[in-house]
Amino acid sequence: MKSIPIRMDRTWISELQNRVEQDTLWSSWEAFQLAIEAAEAESIPSFDSLVCLKQLYGFEPLPHQIEVAKKVIHQMRGRAILADEVGLGKTIEAGLVLKEYLLRGLVKNALILVPSSLVLQWTRELSQKFQIPAMAQKKEWMWDKYDFLVASIDTAKREPHRAHILNKHYDMIIVDEAHKLKNRKTQNWQFINQVKKKYLLLLTATPVQNEMSELFNLVTLLKPGQLGKQNDFKQEYVAGKRLAKNEEQLRKEVHRVLIRNKRRDGDIHLTKRMVKTIPITLSAPERALYNGISQFIRTRYHQEKDLKNMLSLLVLQKEVCSSRDAVFHTLFKLFQQHEKNSQYLSPEVAHLTHLLKQVTSSSKVKTAIQLIQELSPEKVVLFTEYRATQEMIVRELAQVGIYAVPFRGGFKRNKKDWMMELFKMRAQVLVATEAGGEGINLQFCHHMINFDMPWNPMKVEQRIGRIHRFGQKEDVRIYNFATMDTIEEHIIWLLHEKIQLFETVIGELETILVKVEKKHSFEQSVMEMMLQSENDTEIRQRMKQWSDDFQDAKALVTAEMKQQDVLLNGSIKS
Amino acid sequence: MDQLKVKSFTKRYLTHQGCSIIEEFPSFLTTQLSIEVDKDLLNRPYYWMYVERMQIQPQPATLCLVFDPDQPPTHRNGEYLFFGAPRFRMLLKSAQKQGRFVRLYQEEPNGFRSNISQAYDQWLCLNFKVSYLCDVKKDRLVSIGIHMHSGEIKDHFYPTIQSIPWTSKLPAHRFTQTPQLTLMEAIGEIEYALQEQLQNEDRTWAEEALERLNFERSLLDIYYPDNSQQEEKKQRETEIIWQYHPRIEVTILNAGLFHLLNTYKIMSHYDKM
Repeated sequence: MKSIPIRMDRTWISELQNRVEQDTLWSSWEAFQLAIEAAEAESIPSFDSLVCLKQLYGFEPLPHQIEVAKKVIHQMRGRAILADEVGLGKTIEAGLVLKEYLLRGLVKNALILVPSSLVLQWTRELSQKFQIPAMAQKKEWMWDKYDFLVASIDTAKREPHRAHILNKHYDMIIVDEAHKLKNRKTQNWQFINQVKKKYLLLLTATPVQNEMSELFNLVTLLKPGQLGKQNDFKQEYVAGKRLAKNEEQLRKEVHRVLIRNKRRDGDIHLTKRMVKTIPITLSAPERALYNGISQFIRTRYHQEKDLKNMLSLLVLQKEVCSSRDAVFHTLFKLFQQHEKNSQYLSPEVAHLTHLLKQVTSSSKVKTAIQLIQELSPEKVVLFTEYRATQEMIVRELAQVGIYAVPFRGGFKRNKKDWMMELFKMRAQVLVATEAGGEGINLQFCHHMINFDMPWNPMKVEQRIGRIHRFGQKEDVRIYNFATMDTIEEHIIWLLHEKIQLFETVIGELETILVKVEKKHSFEQSVMEMMLQSENDTEIRQRMKQWSDDFQDAKALVTAEMKQQDVLLNGSIKS
Repeated sequence: MDQLKVKSFTKRYLTHQGCSIIEEFPSFLTTQLSIEVDKDLLNRPYYWMYVERMQIQPQPATLCLVFDPDQPPTHRNGEYLFFGAPRFRMLLKSAQKQGRFVRLYQEEPNGFRSNISQAYDQWLCLNFKVSYLCDVKKDRLVSIGIHMHSGEIKDHFYPTIQSIPWTSKLPAHRFTQTPQLTLMEAIGEIEYALQEQLQNEDRTWAEEALERLNFERSLLDIYYPDNSQQEEKKQRETEIIWQYHPRIEVTILNAGLFHLLNTYKIMSHYDKM
């Protein structure tokens, strides 16, 4: 090859000349030495190390994530599809790659395009885990103002935003949920194709869903020609839908740009989960309140027959399984809305209020105290859905000398950090209302109480995910509080016995639920089952039906995943 | 950089930049920043604009820097400073900004006094960061000195003079001579020497990058065989060049005029080491 182009910085020469001529502004010997040491610390002496690993604080990437980052940079040259199964940390992998390029000065600006629901999460993850000054894009003027933006892809592809983006050169583009780019006729695909970019990461757990041509389109965004031309591709590789003809060859080509880790791959494993349902018998006043509320809801339902209007009452039904305090708030609000014009409470409301007053202690709290004392000094995280219940629990625990701290989504960042710190260093119990969201990683704790059960399997999984995650060294123990002869008992039976939600890692839960929840959400279905059934046997029967649907969907999703692996890897590694 | 080095570097930097250390413990220290350092580390240009416009008494901030996160101060909020922390990156940048140009004179050993006047030899030292770039990147620091009277070039100049005591004031009975080379000539000579060095280096990395570049270009020719999508093809081509083309970028770290006594003694001593 001819000589390598060399660019010499010469802007400094006049500065030196000025100093010589005017004999001022000289630095000291110590400052000169400090400057060189600083430059030595910043300089990166080899092409193929991962320097970002030494600059992280507060979390340690897993071995498979580090491998992915290395492979993306050194083999795939910064243009790749990251296709790990759900939950293996594609965000971390992308973050590592971005950080490494950033430290080496190869990336000075980047755009991260994600579904709008994930914008904040990505922004937080990048700034907290990687100290990358990422901003969530909200206003049009932000495009030109910030170097690292996280934006919703649906916003970005529309005017006026689109024009701003197409005007710029991005050192790196990251697209999350990139299976939305499978069809080259869509606006999404064409938009990403048009953006001027150096490096490109496409993140998706499902690179192939239906047709092999989807893969062709994704690969084309990265490296047009890697799989040949569209028509050749069809002739050479695709015999029929989902069946690759020239498999071995195609796989080889695809793996030059795609990385996929699976849960069952050797070095990715988690500790065990032990699940215990703790039956709780309601006291007489609690039972009366439960029956009263249930009756009230049933009556309303039979009057209106409209499931949609029932959703506000659904809250009440859930709350009565949690605590009297939770019920009180909703009841109070409900009657403020509906009966603000009348001077007196209607008889049925008066009756409920009366029942509420009779409840003076909580059977669940008693059980919780007993359990926490037995587990002492081990730490326990307790989840409840309701703020009123949370406050009551913290209060009651304090009364018997158990140090508990609250945690909820509404806390400011600082307060969240502070509460986590207290829990880690001093308190025995964390009483949390929020499982989703970041900043709540509880690997140092392995006992979890579900004080009440969310009517949403995703939320349950999020709760478990807070303590049962990579980095957890102990087996995790989950205690489900189930008030006997209530809807809660049925739900726990369904989630625990019928779909084994607590014991198994259902990585594709979200995908399965989307298929099952076509008509109604799980929450609505449960409500329906409850209101329309004459007795417990019927409820169980309907729940069994739901779980059968779930198992079918699960089988379908598993089959799709296997199909994917067959396409991508040739055989199913068990 | 481990935490010990982060701490010692930070302390040296702060002290040298005129920040006072208010309190110091093994795991943290609190410092009253100087105005200059506040501007470099806290990134609050509006405050400084306001202070200068309104001509009010500036109040640079107090910072509590923690080096061991497991032992934070209990009486105030501290900020954990580690190698990857944004604040430490700013500190490294500031250190480089504050130590750009020096003019120094070699000091006599302690107690040594001479009434015989003696001339200094002037050397210009340039410290460069050389970056090798394609789709990946690495850096190398290079220090080259030139004798301003003879034009002799010395590689690894900075390590050679590192252990010599320096002062920024011309000592008594010492004088400087007018150098044979002008500043621009000297700089030109050093750049020429550096370029020669770079051209003779192993260039496998660049050849491999070019291979990748050409391979991906050949894929484009397969994908776009005819002229139907010229614009798209051109964009991809530009992107590939942007991504892969091998090049070297040389930036200056700092530069100094060093006045040495007995130059050749020192230099030959170093050569024997």
